[in-house]
Amino acid sequence: MTLPAAETVLEVSGLSFAYPSGRQALNNVRFTLRHGEILGLVGPSGAGKSTLLLHLNGLLPLRPEPSRASINGAAVHVAGLAVQAAHLAEVRRRVGFLFQDPDDQLFCPTVREDVAFGPLNLGLPRTEVERRVMESLAAVGLEGYEGRSTLQLSLGERKRVCLAGVIACEPLILALDEPFSNLDPRARRTLVDVLRRFEGSQIIATHDLDVIVELCNRVIVLDDGTIRADGPPAAVLGDAELMERHGLEVPLRLQLLRSPSP
Amino acid sequence: MNESLARPRTFRSPCHRLPPLVALFLSVAAITVGMLLPPGHWPSHGALLCVLFAALSLARVPPGVVLRRLVAFLAFAVLFAVSVPLSQGFRGGWELAQGILFRGVESFLSGLWLMSVVPFDRLLAALRRLGVPAILLAILAFMYRFLFVLWNELDTMRAARRARTFDRAGLIFRWRNAAQMIGMLLIRSLGRSERVYGAMCARGWDGTLRTLDE
Repeated sequence: MTLPAAETVLEVSGLSFAYPSGRQALNNVRFTLRHGEILGLVGPSGAGKSTLLLHLNGLLPLRPEPSRASINGAAVHVAGLAVQAAHLAEVRRRVGFLFQDPDDQLFCPTVREDVAFGPLNLGLPRTEVERRVMESLAAVGLEGYEGRSTLQLSLGERKRVCLAGVIACEPLILALDEPFSNLDPRARRTLVDVLRRFEGSQIIATHDLDVIVELCNRVIVLDDGTIRADGPPAAVLGDAELMERHGLEVPLRLQLLRSPSP
Repeated sequence: MNESLARPRTFRSPCHRLPPLVALFLSVAAITVGMLLPPGHWPSHGALLCVLFAALSLARVPPGVVLRRLVAFLAFAVLFAVSVPLSQGFRGGWELAQGILFRGVESFLSGLWLMSVVPFDRLLAALRRLGVPAILLAILAFMYRFLFVLWNELDTMRAARRARTFDRAGLIFRWRNAAQMIGMLLIRSLGRSERVYGAMCARGWDGTLRTLDE
């Protein structure tokens, strides 16, 4: 699906969510995402970043009660389509979700089978599935890995195979939950480059603020389930007082830019 | 564990070049022969065991690995075999016990050989061609995949426990610890299964298993 650049691909309008334990994870969250935007989602642990991402393709609420689902579902629209039980399949096709732990997402014996899992579920013909497997692996820089066992990959490779599996479904939006955690510098660099080449919109929840400055053109600060700031990375992440208040710190990259020259 | 079980991909021998279906057939054939031989006939079972050990050494499975696995298996097999003469009377039971022991060890070695020479995913593909139901194969594939993940988790937990056990190593203390750890592993596995299911749904899983090779 190709869309004009100004098209709204995601609309979150007043999303609130409480876990069964009673903890209010999201509080009247509202924002829109335009096609091609790369949005960084930052905030302290437990701020509700993952909870928000899980809502985008209907993985939360886990067991939708009819009344509840309609309230929550109507609060999130993906390219005009409400995230509701009736549209789940289409919503999940439009939003690709990368989980934090690749072992959660990589469940087939070989790389080829795992990347093919999504396209096969889309009901595509075998030749098209094969084509997408090859293309997605090339897109993440893992050509020739088709026959490899998923057991014998490094963490960085596993993350990229997961990403290939998501890209193979040709989503409109990528939702990435802590994609850079535990990666060594080289693997992190490779992943940043792969994401930079992706043509759709992205929402990246991460603690790696330097990557946000580099990769994103917009950032949202989430704390206590509420949006505290929304704007260009340099302005938001450069605001020392705001960062301090929400348990974050100004990225080194911005500190160096702003410090008076000696 | 990761290394030893996942060996077939990195380890080559003439046996590893066998097509998976042939290896599967040979392995099942050895088990069948074991079943057909008279239970207490030492020479014939001995000959079959020799063939199996030869096959394992031809596949370059290190003798130490075979021995360690065999000892673990024998611990249960012997217990089971000994219980037969005790319950069935010594005269008839003894022959039965020998049969259980021989056939058990033969089947075990044959399975070990098969697992050593055929990578698991190719074995699954071979089973699929033989018409084994897809859902059964999917369960096997998941089990194999997450065996390693859980094993690594257990390893981490054991290391963390050892790091803080110091010199308190009494038997009761250790047993209580082991029980706690198994409980923790169960809880972690349940959490893991929820997340894996979520990941499957995120990529369009609707309860129908689809595979590339059909």
